[in-house]
Amino acid sequence: MTSPPTGEDAGPRPHGPGGPPAAARDLPHDPPGGARVTPPSTPQDAPAPGPARRAARLLPGLVVGAVTLALPAVLDDSALTVYIFLGLAAMVTVGVSLLMGYAGQVSLGQGAFYAVGGYTAGILAVRGGPPIAGLLAAPVVAAAFAVVVGVPLLRLRGHHLAFATLAMQLIVLSLAGRLAITGGDIGLQAIPPFGWGSFELTGAVGYAYLTWGGVALVMLVTRNVIVSRPGRALRALATSETAAASSGVPVGRYKLVVFALSAAFAGLAGGIYAYYTGYVAPSSFPVLLSIEYIVMAVVGGLGTVWGAVVGAAAITLLVQALNLIGTAPGMPSYAPSVLSYAVYAVVLITVVLFLPRGLFPAAVARLRRAPRP
Amino acid sequence: MTTPAGTGVVEIADLVVRYGSAVALDGVSLSAGRGEMVALLGPNGAGKSTLADTLSGILTPASGTVEVGGRLAHIPEGRQLFPDLSVEDNLRLGGWRSRRRDPAQVYELLPQLAAIRRRLAGVLSGGEQQMVAFGRALMSRPDVLVVDELSLGLAPIVTRDLARHLTQLNAEHGLTVLLIEQNARLAFDVCERAYVLEAGRIVAEGPCAELAESPRVARAYLGGSIEETRK
Amino acid sequence: MRELLTYVVNGLAVGCGFALIAAGLVAVHRVTGVVNFAQGMFAVVAGLSASWLLGTGLPHGLSEGAAVLVAAVAGLLTGLLAIGRRGTTPQSALIVTLGVGVLAYAVEIVVWGDQPRSFPGLPGSVSVAGVGVQSQHLLVIAATAVTFALLTTFFGRTYLGKALTACASNPYAARVIGIDVTRMGLLAFVLGGLLGGVAGVLVTPLRPISFDTDVTLIVNGFAAAVFGSLGRAGLALVGALLLGLAESLAAGYGYAAYQLEIALGLMLVIMVVQSTRRTSVLEEPA
Repeated sequence: MTSPPTGEDAGPRPHGPGGPPAAARDLPHDPPGGARVTPPSTPQDAPAPGPARRAARLLPGLVVGAVTLALPAVLDDSALTVYIFLGLAAMVTVGVSLLMGYAGQVSLGQGAFYAVGGYTAGILAVRGGPPIAGLLAAPVVAAAFAVVVGVPLLRLRGHHLAFATLAMQLIVLSLAGRLAITGGDIGLQAIPPFGWGSFELTGAVGYAYLTWGGVALVMLVTRNVIVSRPGRALRALATSETAAASSGVPVGRYKLVVFALSAAFAGLAGGIYAYYTGYVAPSSFPVLLSIEYIVMAVVGGLGTVWGAVVGAAAITLLVQALNLIGTAPGMPSYAPSVLSYAVYAVVLITVVLFLPRGLFPAAVARLRRAPRP
Repeated sequence: MTTPAGTGVVEIADLVVRYGSAVALDGVSLSAGRGEMVALLGPNGAGKSTLADTLSGILTPASGTVEVGGRLAHIPEGRQLFPDLSVEDNLRLGGWRSRRRDPAQVYELLPQLAAIRRRLAGVLSGGEQQMVAFGRALMSRPDVLVVDELSLGLAPIVTRDLARHLTQLNAEHGLTVLLIEQNARLAFDVCERAYVLEAGRIVAEGPCAELAESPRVARAYLGGSIEETRK
Repeated sequence: MRELLTYVVNGLAVGCGFALIAAGLVAVHRVTGVVNFAQGMFAVVAGLSASWLLGTGLPHGLSEGAAVLVAAVAGLLTGLLAIGRRGTTPQSALIVTLGVGVLAYAVEIVVWGDQPRSFPGLPGSVSVAGVGVQSQHLLVIAATAVTFALLTTFFGRTYLGKALTACASNPYAARVIGIDVTRMGLLAFVLGGLLGGVAGVLVTPLRPISFDTDVTLIVNGFAAAVFGSLGRAGLALVGALLLGLAESLAAGYGYAAYQLEIALGLMLVIMVVQSTRRTSVLEEPA
């Protein structure tokens, strides 16, 4: 974007077409709603609740936690697979939501960090490394990779960063498809399952707990980041980088930290993915994957921890349901992919245009407004 | 859009304009008769430019009515030219509404523009830019001209020159002029009547001669500071 | 030496395709501030349409022309979604165009299937300085030159083109003089569709196209557009030709596998260097 002179006598003052109406210069006013500028809507600054109210507030969380723990015991194997993929998607989406909602940056390359995590765990595992090392290395290597590419790339903003991260993913995929260590186009096969000592995690139930343990960890970390002092500074970052910078926030460093953190989440998910499926290849991490995470984050509401999980769940289940329809007898062979493309697209466009704060915050707001019995 | 007999070519009644939840104009009524020159005074942020943008259709009123009997052109605050187009292209685009694209008549009226027709608007001096903005507005052959901050940032001699053109057009072609100004001296010099807008409301109106007598207006717009009157 | 000439012509032809995509991106970005991720999709739609129309027996020329019009309609629809609703920020609009690109996948697979399609271009070859050059390559270069000339004339000489430039340079002033900026933005999207469509029908005979080719096209087109800071079509053309040449030479001299890395790496370096320069310019007056 061009930055025209702003002095009174320096000539005309163009306004971006999407920016505030030019005439708004008479008055301060809210910026128009949009994916980037929508401030996160978690109420952090509410007055401290009393013990009873705190318990009441904790209750839904406890119920959700209990259901999450109970589900693997009752789900059948194919449902468990969905449950695991849902958890993996949620992990990545929390990071994307943090990045978009708090650092105000669009990453079209989150799948690259997922891939880095998957390959890291996979490479270590097929070379006989202890699985726990692989699982720890996946997020660490992904975060380190994010720091290395982030230093130059995070100088970019908006659509430049979006394309740069997309380019990053294409390069990662292209390299993975050619290097010997990553197994080329065929990828890494027969990755041994996750385990600890002599114990081997083979059943889907174990992976479900591992995955959702990871989700809980990711949510906890994100929550702590959000309520921390840097987290509050980050919120300013999403709204106005210049304002944040002028109030003394080390914009560059915070952006890099959030970028690395979101990469670590994706890397952890990728690591679990590698152990669970026993197979990673360039085709496991298509560009569309990165777009899916954006859909999930946008649906859930940017910068909300729970929203990201709800968004991931909603989209995963919706696509799963459509898959059932698409594979029903009599449907053409392309039906499943067409249906999922269509649903991603329609949901993304609808939410961005009509519910810019996201589905989850909109629903919560509606519930809050409803009179209590 | 019909103008009832006996009323003005510009009729604004109970106009309310909002930005989100903020109210920029709060029940403003204003009228200007055909061939009249009317001033709108007020401090920064009073809503003057909002009124101009509403008149030219950029902003939509939340309530109230705006009626303009004829074609309206608007010289916005800060000239707002197209910096990477030539002076001539700027003028030609001014004829977008009227579909009149030949700037010959404007050159006749403002010969200094003909001399700089090939130059880019972005590199002109403030006075030249205001002249281009003036010419661009005339390209649409307006019946009503809204001029937002004619004098802002210009040397007095340039302002006088522009004001002379305005009064001439008013006298010879019956052009209705709404002059939006912080500079009350200029406005009182040129116009017969004036309105004073403060914080989105009309707080005073009447013939310029009478308003100039009012201690409140005199203090705020002809000498004393605005802060003083607020006390 | 003979190979070099072949690679150069090939690279220029490929670069021309990128240049047309980039020109569409620039047109839309200048007028609306939106980076249109669906720009590559316009080329795909046109390429697939042309191949299908030729298959139905429609003659060359007519098929390609109709395909370009289909792409223009796709451009209009994309624009309606991206900027049709008031208050959509450019960043939100980028995400909407991302969605439009994915939506197009669904439509394209239903209409044309998911297999790559191609169609024969101009047959035969011409001898240039003793080297045989495919006629289609020359056609691509010539057609791109004509398109850019038309584009320059449109923006530099016509009233409508000037009005589009006006919207780009000061949208508020454009509204003051009565120009409907949204409608002009839609016009820019149609123009983007036309340019993408021309790219599609020219390039498909060189490289078969399928529904997901849009990612390669948009990334290369964006890389070229970045050369001109997303605002100057002439520089974007230069960038696209360099990109095409770099890729073609890399492929010709045995680094075919690294084509994509070269193009994308170049784009990243240019963007980062530009951002550094921008910041220093901004910091100077302080």
